[in-house]
Amino acid sequence: MTQAITINNLTYQYDDHELFDGFNLSIEAGEWVALVGHNGSGKSTLAKLIVGLIVANGGDIDVFGKRLTVDSINDIRAQIGMVFQNPDNQFVGATVADDVAFGLENIELPSNEMPQRIDEALHTVGMENFKEREPHTLSGGQKQRVALASVLALGPKIIILDEATAMLDPEGRASIMKTLQNLKAQFGSELTLITITHDMDEAALADRIVVINDGRLIIDGNPDDVFSKSQTMHDNGLELPFAGELTARLTVKPKKYLDERELIHWLSPSNK
Amino acid sequence: MAITFEQVNFSYGAGTTLANPILHDINITIADHQVTAIIGQTGSGKSTLIQHLNGLLKPTTGQVTVDDLIVTNATKEKQLTKLRAKVGMVFQFPENQLFANTVLEDVMYGPLNFGYQTDEAKQSAQSALKMVNVAENLWQNSPFELSGGQMRRVAMAGALASNPDIVVMDEPAAGLDPKGQAELLELVANLRQSGKLVVFISHQMDHVVSVADQVIVMQDGHVAVQGTPADVFNRDIDWFKSVNLDLPRAGQFAEQLRANGVSLSRRPLTLTELATMLNEEHKHE
Repeated sequence: MTQAITINNLTYQYDDHELFDGFNLSIEAGEWVALVGHNGSGKSTLAKLIVGLIVANGGDIDVFGKRLTVDSINDIRAQIGMVFQNPDNQFVGATVADDVAFGLENIELPSNEMPQRIDEALHTVGMENFKEREPHTLSGGQKQRVALASVLALGPKIIILDEATAMLDPEGRASIMKTLQNLKAQFGSELTLITITHDMDEAALADRIVVINDGRLIIDGNPDDVFSKSQTMHDNGLELPFAGELTARLTVKPKKYLDERELIHWLSPSNK
Repeated sequence: MAITFEQVNFSYGAGTTLANPILHDINITIADHQVTAIIGQTGSGKSTLIQHLNGLLKPTTGQVTVDDLIVTNATKEKQLTKLRAKVGMVFQFPENQLFANTVLEDVMYGPLNFGYQTDEAKQSAQSALKMVNVAENLWQNSPFELSGGQMRRVAMAGALASNPDIVVMDEPAAGLDPKGQAELLELVANLRQSGKLVVFISHQMDHVVSVADQVIVMQDGHVAVQGTPADVFNRDIDWFKSVNLDLPRAGQFAEQLRANGVSLSRRPLTLTELATMLNEEHKHE
């Protein structure tokens, strides 16, 4: 298996605080990893370290086998796209299409290739009918899908979404989750996805969940494994998905962790 | 200290050819010493409504009364100062409101503006920061060095520092982690306990159920319903679809159970209620 990201013995401190001290993590190419933790647990800092927005005090970060250094930083950044929390802080274009074009101009894509790239990226996120719209007329969920299209147009191998749904209403949040599932279906092993979140319904969509707290790795496993450790999750300031919180309060419990659909089936008369 | 809206209509660009009507014929009373939640899908007029509470927007027609202060279209900007001292506003993404060099200075800005002496302003800022759980070792830091959750708290302290009788918050919990959300709900309950009137906008029905006394449902610029959470959330499921709102999570789960042949004696509105009902009514053999 190809490793998309390998973090080895990472240390990072700011002010007097040692956030990461010998942190290790590797993410395989094509994986969808949810990086979860409470506000201030270090998850966003980790994302910034991976793309070299901030510099570690020690340890190594490799992206597709290439060590992150001052010399390699531009090559590495070209492989990683990021979408941030606040949709209003990441728009530069006057129209949706201009906005997607901005990144393409930066990588000096020949202008005759641009329309097709823009169309494809907007189509992937379901925003092809909004090309000429001004960004401020879009809903939060639509804005985040455009931000995702701007990143996709550059053909990244890794996309990191840093709490990209946190500011959205339920409809917007659902539309982003659906879009991410479509992306994984379309790109498969060609795309590595890292979603940073404290929303467990969002984390549940990933192949793997990595829980961190104060720069330490607490749990690393598939959603069922992670959600069966309810006490550890609570101790680290996190909740389980609704079905997990409910199960924890039932006097008679299913033998293993069940997601919402499974729990409803387990509770239904056809199962008795 | 109650708030009333009488026949309030509001349009952006009223009187021009570009007039864009947002609020239609709003008649509501928001009771004192209570927590009122305003819900409704994006674009239903929630934010426009609450901007009338401190005169950021004035009704195009009709009047808003806050305690003994009346706001109509004719109210002059100068007359709104008294209203603004009474009503603390926390906007959506309040971290965008931060501007000062240190956390403490940022929170002192409001009280100083309302004529507090420096010492007095400092004291009220400190007690507001304690109220929202911002640790003392951060008070001399730049507000821009804080994490998102901490910035949110500092911005809230800024609105609370001048001790307003009315606190209005636009989606205060958006983006907070579970612990931050629980603390926020506790803060809202404490504000009510200390006699304040609290109005907040939320998309999280679980928060509404847990802390609100009254719920106002907005739809297309109208008030669709006003009532207690129990009244509002026990309406027919088709009504929720028609206003494009979710039930609280426990209610959603119960609806799915019902579709799968498990009926409960009534609709649970909280996780605890749902768990209790399942434990009592559907003992799993």
